[in-house]
Amino acid sequence: MTRKRISRRELLKLAGTGTVVAAAGGLGQGLLLPRNLWAAPPKIKGPVKIGYQAVLSGTLAGYGEFHKMGAVMAVEEINAKGGIAGQKVEMEFRDSTLKPDDAIKNARYFVDSWGADFLAGIDSSGQALALAPVVQQLDRVLMVTHAATEKLTEEMVFKKGIKQIFRICTPTYQDGNAAAFIAKDFPAVKWATVSPKYEYGFTCWKMFQDTLKKLKPGVPFVAESFAPFGTTDFRSHINTILDAKPDGLYSTEWAGELISMVKQGREAGLFEKVKHVIFPVGAAMDVLEGLGKDMPDNIWIAGRYFFLYPNSKTNGEWVARFRKRWNHYPAYVSETGYSSIYAFKAAVEKAGSKDTKAVIQVLEGMSMNSPAGNRVFRKEDHQAIYDVAWGKTKADPKYPFKIMGEMKVIPTTVCYNRPPFEGPGTAPPF
Amino acid sequence: MQSIVHVCLAGLSSGMFIWLVASGLTLIFGVLGVLNFAHGSFYMLGAYFSYTVLRHLFPNFWLGLLLGPLCVCAVGFVVERFFLRYVYRLALPYQLLLTFAFVLIFDNLVKIVWGAGSLTPPDIGFLAGSVPILGRKFPVYNLFIIGVGPLVAVALWLALERTWAGRIVRAASSDREMASAIGVRVPALYTGVFVFGIWLGALGGGLAVPYVGLLTPGMGETIIIEAFIVAVIGGLGSLKGAFLAALVLGVLSSFGTRYFPAFDMFLTFILMAAVLLVRPQGLFGDAR
Amino acid sequence: MPDDRVTGRLLRAIAVLAFVAALASVPLFAGKFVIYLAMRVMILGIFALGYNLLLGGTGLLSFGHGAFYAAGAYGLGFFSLHLSPNPLLGVAAGIAAAMLLALLIGFFSVRSTEIYFAMLTLAFGMMVFSLIWNARDITGGDDGLIGIMRESIPLFGGVKISISQDSRYYFLVLFFFLLSFWAVHRIRNSPFGLVLAGIRENAKRTEFAGLAVRNYRLAAFVISGAFAGLAGSLETLLESNARPFMAHWTHSAEPVLVSLLGGIQTLTGPVVGSILFVAMREIVQRFTENWMLWFGIVLLVIIMGFRGGVVGVVRQLADRARGPRGG
Repeated sequence: MTRKRISRRELLKLAGTGTVVAAAGGLGQGLLLPRNLWAAPPKIKGPVKIGYQAVLSGTLAGYGEFHKMGAVMAVEEINAKGGIAGQKVEMEFRDSTLKPDDAIKNARYFVDSWGADFLAGIDSSGQALALAPVVQQLDRVLMVTHAATEKLTEEMVFKKGIKQIFRICTPTYQDGNAAAFIAKDFPAVKWATVSPKYEYGFTCWKMFQDTLKKLKPGVPFVAESFAPFGTTDFRSHINTILDAKPDGLYSTEWAGELISMVKQGREAGLFEKVKHVIFPVGAAMDVLEGLGKDMPDNIWIAGRYFFLYPNSKTNGEWVARFRKRWNHYPAYVSETGYSSIYAFKAAVEKAGSKDTKAVIQVLEGMSMNSPAGNRVFRKEDHQAIYDVAWGKTKADPKYPFKIMGEMKVIPTTVCYNRPPFEGPGTAPPF
Repeated sequence: MQSIVHVCLAGLSSGMFIWLVASGLTLIFGVLGVLNFAHGSFYMLGAYFSYTVLRHLFPNFWLGLLLGPLCVCAVGFVVERFFLRYVYRLALPYQLLLTFAFVLIFDNLVKIVWGAGSLTPPDIGFLAGSVPILGRKFPVYNLFIIGVGPLVAVALWLALERTWAGRIVRAASSDREMASAIGVRVPALYTGVFVFGIWLGALGGGLAVPYVGLLTPGMGETIIIEAFIVAVIGGLGSLKGAFLAALVLGVLSSFGTRYFPAFDMFLTFILMAAVLLVRPQGLFGDAR
Repeated sequence: MPDDRVTGRLLRAIAVLAFVAALASVPLFAGKFVIYLAMRVMILGIFALGYNLLLGGTGLLSFGHGAFYAAGAYGLGFFSLHLSPNPLLGVAAGIAAAMLLALLIGFFSVRSTEIYFAMLTLAFGMMVFSLIWNARDITGGDDGLIGIMRESIPLFGGVKISISQDSRYYFLVLFFFLLSFWAVHRIRNSPFGLVLAGIRENAKRTEFAGLAVRNYRLAAFVISGAFAGLAGSLETLLESNARPFMAHWTHSAEPVLVSLLGGIQTLTGPVVGSILFVAMREIVQRFTENWMLWFGIVLLVIIMGFRGGVVGVVRQLADRARGPRGG
């Protein structure tokens, strides 16, 4: 009872100062936020609650842990420095199990039961697409930190206008299109792939082929072998590749499956026969650490983020803090998880509100500094635009795993599809 | 030629590998009449324990293979003695449900004890590396698996057919009441057979450490269905059938992946359905 | 004795009425998430009720009912995306698709029994799963069939009932749930249901009585497939997507689990099991990220302690409490 009275008195006080501040601000900023002059003060009410979900069970459970490290660290840092707009950040973390129905249930729990203001996470494309209509209905911003399907931003956000969805990680353009820009400089003529037997693998291989065909007309693609989810034995797939005698191998296998494939490929002499190899998600920490010195040299790898790029103060300090906190190098999902929380912070503070509509308005086109460098959320499709590095694997005495040497950046302006995503001039090369 | 030989070899090694896991499953079903859904979890535990021995205690592959599965036997003993024993008389679905509960528990415990991320094993020494066969490299370790499979099969056959213990096990599996009447302590025998079956599964896990090259919580879930299929195609309870089925399935899916990739997800299931439609009791099962 | 039967019937009627009233009032007082969970429980309940006609009714253990669930889901999905968005016609299309598929799979499967029947249905179910996964151009592959809208139900005279809101859709799900419950009750007590029970107890004797056991099994299989299809189409309307994992064996195992939890010998068993299953997971997940561990332990306790299913044991206890009168 007493607490309630105090808070009401405080509220009145805040309302008073708020109006003054808003009025003063209004003078300076022109008519940017006119509603502040007569509506509630821009000070936000109550803690900022973030519902985060990622996979915490099964063979990919390690990814969920890495998401969590990044997101938890961001929440700790923000709360230590006074929170978001003076309010504490609260985060609840749930196992998404990779199943779309569980992702939907979690999202509904977060919003309808726990009272989340924002949603983040999501590993699989199927989950992201299934969630789209749900977050529209729940009317909360969902910041996707891992799922890469371009359909999410092209179809759900751009065409269907589900504005609540944003993606802070790189989409399939990076894994497909950008890889073709790396491949075009190789003397290799014949390409083959071992890729996952699901939409992600199919889409990336198609993007890679389409872009490379335009960059290097007449390039032949001689073999493709798609491995079902959960494959542990890649030997037959490797035989398919070796039989076709390609010069180049492109593979979007990732996580444990990439580790198994590389190990088994080494045993079969795959990397001696095929000289040019591209792993668009090979720069994931679980893969690099898992393979250690078994990762062959001179393979082109990339990720959604790699801890040695960009070579900036922000990134260097962040990696140091991360290692101190978790005794681990940050995985790419740690960075996207971390930055997603800071994206919410920046948006809420700029909007002066947790209101979904206001936050979406601010997030559209918002630019933010992050460990991965400067990110801008593209207005049309809500895709974060930021450059990631490609590099050739090499050993370094400083690290117990292979790192990127000879780094190269394919700028997003060169390799990302552009709105309206249909017709000429929307897919690279431009 | 080179291609066909290598596809065959890949199929043989994966078939023999599945056989190692399916043998324990088949033995347990044959004697106890229990379909052990948690067999994949014991396989996973075998892998994790062997890995731990290999990485943290003795950097010797053979010691890992010896000690790892032994630890799992202790877990298997507890499961049989305090839980499974009480559902022998219940219908099949209840046994599945009970063992499913253990799948959840073990998967989660592995995550808590060994961490959520994948683990990769250290080098195993002399079995590493490859030998050229018809101009293409083939891993020594896979040849080793191709050798171990038949070895285990022969050892099992000898143990069941030529030893006193084997005769008792066979007696108990064909008629529990009769065995009990002639003085066999059936509960103790069941415990023994279950633990031995678990040991076989865990041995498969220990061998998987270099074979798969990767340990993840949940690694048992992918293998258990394959092992089930092998056991069913062979005829539940028939070791001979399971051995043959594993061989056929391994080679067939290897050829399928190489030459009919569109069907590689269907292939095992088509094979199982076809066999069951023609011979409902499996290749070597008794018509019950 | 006759007095007892009358009061028993009266008590049961009151219990059913109270149950229906409680369900109908959920949207009035419960929060949105509870409404949503209640819908998930009812959909799983329909799936399990139908499934248990087969398992509890004939003793056949199917591991392929996910395929019929998926047939219902994709049937409704295709129908509403390409033909008509009318939800009721969509549900009918889903059920029809599921029944057709059940007829096809059942025809080949019912000649086997026990574990071989289980594995045969598992194989067919996984073939359906692979088919959905691979036919990307039609089904959307692993992304699933997305963007299925929940349109209004047109009635006579141009009147439309909107079900786009969850609190309204709830009543449609409730309607189908009660309908299923009633239908299963009627089937169990019909001559057909009694024949099924006879087959379960002794298939040979039923065969000697001149009844074609296989046809009865097939009929039960198709009927339970219809309920699976209904559940699948209702879930697709709820979540606005259909996905290949609906046909996966892990999903086929859900009604088995739920039926066993609640008890396969009773009508209410699968429903109670569904409530337990959904509620238990939800509660465990609130306390710990290690939900699998605790869920597994709870399952273990239930299996070891309630071997006839929760409903069976509760009923036994109730009978014992009534004691001398019942005897």
